[in-house]
Amino acid sequence: MTKKPEIKTWKDLNVGGVIESGTSEHFKTGDWRVKVPIWQSKNCIHCMTCWAFCPDNAIKVQPDGKRGEYDYDFCKGCGICAEECPITAKVMNEIKKSDPNFKLTAWDAAENPVFREKAAILMVSIKEAKEKFNIK
Amino acid sequence: MEKTIVARTGNEAMAEAMRQINPDVCAAYPITPATEIMQIFSSFVADGLVKTNLITVESEHSAISACMGSAASGARTMTATSSQGLALMHEILYITSALRLPIVLAEVNRALSGPINIHCDHSDTMGERDSGWIQIYAENAQEAYDLLINAVRIAEHKDVSLPAMVSTDGFIISHGMERLEMYPDNEVQKFIGDYKPHYNLLNLDNPITVGSLVLTDYYIEHKRAQHEAMKNAKKIIPEIFSEFEKTFGKKYDLVENYKCDDADFILVCLGSTAGTAKVAVEELRQEGIKAGLLKIRVFRPFPAEQIVKVISKAKAIAVMDRAESLSTQAGPVATEVKAALYDAGKILPVQSYIYGLGGREIYVDQIKQIYKNLSNAKTSEPVKYIGVKE
Repeated sequence: MTKKPEIKTWKDLNVGGVIESGTSEHFKTGDWRVKVPIWQSKNCIHCMTCWAFCPDNAIKVQPDGKRGEYDYDFCKGCGICAEECPITAKVMNEIKKSDPNFKLTAWDAAENPVFREKAAILMVSIKEAKEKFNIK
Repeated sequence: MEKTIVARTGNEAMAEAMRQINPDVCAAYPITPATEIMQIFSSFVADGLVKTNLITVESEHSAISACMGSAASGARTMTATSSQGLALMHEILYITSALRLPIVLAEVNRALSGPINIHCDHSDTMGERDSGWIQIYAENAQEAYDLLINAVRIAEHKDVSLPAMVSTDGFIISHGMERLEMYPDNEVQKFIGDYKPHYNLLNLDNPITVGSLVLTDYYIEHKRAQHEAMKNAKKIIPEIFSEFEKTFGKKYDLVENYKCDDADFILVCLGSTAGTAKVAVEELRQEGIKAGLLKIRVFRPFPAEQIVKVISKAKAIAVMDRAESLSTQAGPVATEVKAALYDAGKILPVQSYIYGLGGREIYVDQIKQIYKNLSNAKTSEPVKYIGVKE
């Protein structure tokens, strides 16, 4: 059933259009991003909350069970990881204590110098990701 | 073969057929007038009379979605619904037929809102006529029982592999008690046989992708393949009906020809109205009018050739539609009958009648009047209403 036919006509299709598994591996969705998540491992506590929330399985797990780098081939840059990260919450609370007018979300908090220093995940522009972090 | 003669309503007859089919999975949500089918069937499940995994869900959209998952994993799957329930299934109906999943649905025809109404017309199933499902209309409880059993074979045939719905007229058949000849459980099981699915989503030794994205490059090829499956169905349904006749002694075809061979005037309809129309035909023939009736049993695929063969020698045709397409030209069945005649080069006067919407009663005298109108028909006329308060 899972033959990979050379589809020339409608007669070559499998019944129901069923195809082989794992085809999403060939379909790189990373270029959909408008912002890029940057993992700051020095601030990470490896709680794996980001990994659990990532809708695209784009956060790799290291052999020792700790968090690894992003799989930028598939990360669509939704920012859910940065939003759900407990370090984000901690740092934001800290900033709000000294600056009650602080209204930024995880999506654009990377502009704040304290957040930039202490957060575990930053959402940065594609330009910055390319120039500063060497991420295509 | 020993047949058991019992008194059953249309819903009971369909539930009994489901018990004998003994599907692997049923997912359903109750809706008047189809509620009883699953209510009775769920008691069969509770009593251990079937091995079915019954999934109770929160809507018809979920019911057909659960059925889709079940069928994609190779399970023989059935459900039941009516009216708004079928309409809520709409988007998934198209997906199940595209995935070629032979789900069998017991449908009870009920008017679509609005205004809100619970009684019979065919607007619900006519709304799904282009969904890629096989559609079979039963005239009475016996047909509902027999055709539901046939539908399993038809849907699961390897060259068809399409979902199928068998419908009865709401309340008229679903809640009307009739004489029903039932066949032994084991004979029904023997007739339907084992289901051999084309694919199985849960087979971990052979992982597959079901329902992948297909854009401009191959979408039309998928539809072309579905078109072929429907064409196959038109050939295979009569074969299965004939096997059913050999086994159980009940003869069915895509259409039913009731005294059309020498008829001057032929009426075309679906479902329970055929029973009323047969009485009208008999009475008219006693008055010397050569009346005939063509009942379309299988509406999808549309048996155009078979219809033309039966009706093309008549002087005039009336098509009774229990659904409005609001085209102002003709009802949905009339439109297709006209097209079939045109394709065959037979240009006959065809009158389109809309009747029975929202359960409005239809009487023998009204049907006789239609036949009498036909004797004055010179050309095709735009759609007419009958039984409406003018």
